[in-house]
Amino acid sequence: MAADRPTPRLPRGRVARRCTAVIAVGAVLLVGVTACGGGKASSDEGTTITVAHGYTDVEAAALKTQAEKWNTDHPTTKVNLVYNGGNDSALQKTVAGFTAGNYPDVAYEYGSSAAQLARQPKLVDLTEKVKASGFNWDDFYPSERLAATVDGKVVGVPALVDNLSLVYNKKLFAAAGVPEPTNDWTWEQFRDASKKLSDPAKKTYGWAYVNDASEDTVWRYLAMLWQAGGDLLTSDNTKPAFDSPAGLASLQQLRDMAVTDKSVYLDTGNGNYLNLFNSGKIAMLWTGPWDLSSINDDVEYGVTYLPGYQGNHETISGPDLYLLFDHSSGRTDTAVKFVSWLTSAPVHLEFAIATGDLPLRKSETELPGYQTFLSKYPAEKVFVANLDNVKHVRPNLPEYAEVSTAVGQMVQSVLLGQAEPAAALKTGSQAVAAALAGS
Amino acid sequence: MSSTVERRTDAARSRRPRTILARAPQPDRRRRGRLGRSGRESLTGWLMVSPSLVLIALFGLVPVLWSFALSFQQNDLQTPGTWVGLKNYERLSQDPQFWDSVRRTVEYTVLFVPSTLVLSLLAAAALNRRIRGITVYRLAVFIPVVTSTIATGVIFSWLLDPDYGLVNATLSKVGLPTFEFFASPTQALPAVVLMTVWGWIGFGALIFLAGLQGIPTDLMDAAQIDGCSTRGAFWRIQVPLLRPVSGFLLVWLTINALQLFDEVYATTKGGPSRATTVVVYYLYDQAFKFFHAGYAAAIAVVLFVAIAAVTALQLRITREEPTPQEGRR
Repeated sequence: MAADRPTPRLPRGRVARRCTAVIAVGAVLLVGVTACGGGKASSDEGTTITVAHGYTDVEAAALKTQAEKWNTDHPTTKVNLVYNGGNDSALQKTVAGFTAGNYPDVAYEYGSSAAQLARQPKLVDLTEKVKASGFNWDDFYPSERLAATVDGKVVGVPALVDNLSLVYNKKLFAAAGVPEPTNDWTWEQFRDASKKLSDPAKKTYGWAYVNDASEDTVWRYLAMLWQAGGDLLTSDNTKPAFDSPAGLASLQQLRDMAVTDKSVYLDTGNGNYLNLFNSGKIAMLWTGPWDLSSINDDVEYGVTYLPGYQGNHETISGPDLYLLFDHSSGRTDTAVKFVSWLTSAPVHLEFAIATGDLPLRKSETELPGYQTFLSKYPAEKVFVANLDNVKHVRPNLPEYAEVSTAVGQMVQSVLLGQAEPAAALKTGSQAVAAALAGS
Repeated sequence: MSSTVERRTDAARSRRPRTILARAPQPDRRRRGRLGRSGRESLTGWLMVSPSLVLIALFGLVPVLWSFALSFQQNDLQTPGTWVGLKNYERLSQDPQFWDSVRRTVEYTVLFVPSTLVLSLLAAAALNRRIRGITVYRLAVFIPVVTSTIATGVIFSWLLDPDYGLVNATLSKVGLPTFEFFASPTQALPAVVLMTVWGWIGFGALIFLAGLQGIPTDLMDAAQIDGCSTRGAFWRIQVPLLRPVSGFLLVWLTINALQLFDEVYATTKGGPSRATTVVVYYLYDQAFKFFHAGYAAAIAVVLFVAIAAVTALQLRITREEPTPQEGRR
């Protein structure tokens, strides 16, 4: 899952709402009419596929280039790229599309949406297809394969991989006389440095935590929970398991830093943390490769693994997926071929070089082009190495959204100083149990 | 004696100024011949409005009926739903989070509607004069209305940022206490009220201004001749005459307040600690985050009934009553 940044929607005035609605309705009707007029008749209908994605800027341009290349090399098929309005609401949009009977052949979705869409009758089961020779399913990193699997069924193909690493502002460390982070940092060292880098008078903070109770709040906590040897749910995914010493230790660490030391900037979910990092108000972030392109050129930054608990520097990855939906066997066939090609090592490496996204497959790091990638994006080296520190994945359950909400509320209440860790764990655990019981 | 009184009331009645929302005169009902002139006219009329009717039916009525049907189902929007009768409504009645969201919505409405009404009225009074550059002021008051909610949300999250916001910076400069705003569970809802009142004053002022300008000037002139101060005339003559306008605004603002969503989505996402999870935001979470579409539809139906009831009540209260001089009919 890439960052949960709110994507701006179409501006809507209040008074103009009704007019907008009418215009929109008119547009929908027009689109409908033209679609009815021109869609069905084309002879190669079975081999024209629609790929819905939420890429913008550099990534969108790179994907467009690759789709055009495919279309040139495969004159009998055609790939149409459609922008889904932003990946944050891709799941909602896709589900609404099924209700309206208008859905893409391939959709880019967050890994956390996989279980929800696995119920979809139109979803293409890829379990056998990824075993085909030349697909090299095992070449994908283990965390990606796990994220793409729901109840033993392969539901998607990894589209993007990332992980959380520690990104820090070198100048601020030098100014405060604090030694820079290393890959061997402990939670204590991290807390200590964060405290030294905070100055209430200057309104500077050592660390930032996205505290909107969304998945963005949850996954940082999960990394700490796993480091401390805990887990979110029992191994059969039926009950909460985080009301444990590990769960307590991680929440206590958050409380110590945010409430006791006041060394954490609590971002309300509007993404201000990045602007503040750029303006030298925040010294350290736990973030992924997607934020690097937004860091200003004049900010000299370094990247290390996350600080660890008793030597465990585990991190969390949010692999995103391409999910395939069935219209006809011809179209599905084309979709499988296109996605296999798009996620093959040489093709994806080109995409990575163009965008700075991490390699999807281990074998990409052995291709000669990988050196080009590293010299172009020196900071990515740590992120790639840190993929080996991904050991767990979030449980792939249809109820995950509710589980995540409950955990998000729990972490948020502790960070805001509204609840003691032990009490918050009890409350959160009950809420998760209720969500899993389907009540 | 009595006849003079009657005459006077008649005169008073006929002198009553027409406000902008005066009741439309009822057409006299003539019996139609078989597609006589009036029949043809009404057919033409129906034909004229049929495109809008079709659109409203398709995109308004059908979804309403569909969500009503959906509220009796368990439905994840992906697999065929199952009928569960009234189970969603039963669960809703025992869902503490739903009742919390109702409580917050009521709190918001009670804070938002009166403050918007009063401030809009004052803004309209200030704008109802002939001075140089009045259009500029009117425009300035109205700009927030046409600003997109998302833009407003982004701007306000910066303005009200506890650490780096302009508002707190200003407050601390002049030695006043600062606030946490959106970052605090107790202050987030008032902060949303602040932001939405700012966004709606322009709309309210526009409606009030139209009402004020519909009041005949000879009334005000007469008041001045009788030695009434401008302020007195405003509170005793103009404000009472704005009654239908205020009634309309009251209903309109209440409906919008009960449906609060965009501003919350753009700023706090229902947080912190659910402090701004109002009914429609809770519905959104249920429908599009957890995909409990049936449950969300039940919330929508309950909200629809509640809004209809509140609106009906308000319309009854604010309906024009005869003024005391007219006596009771």
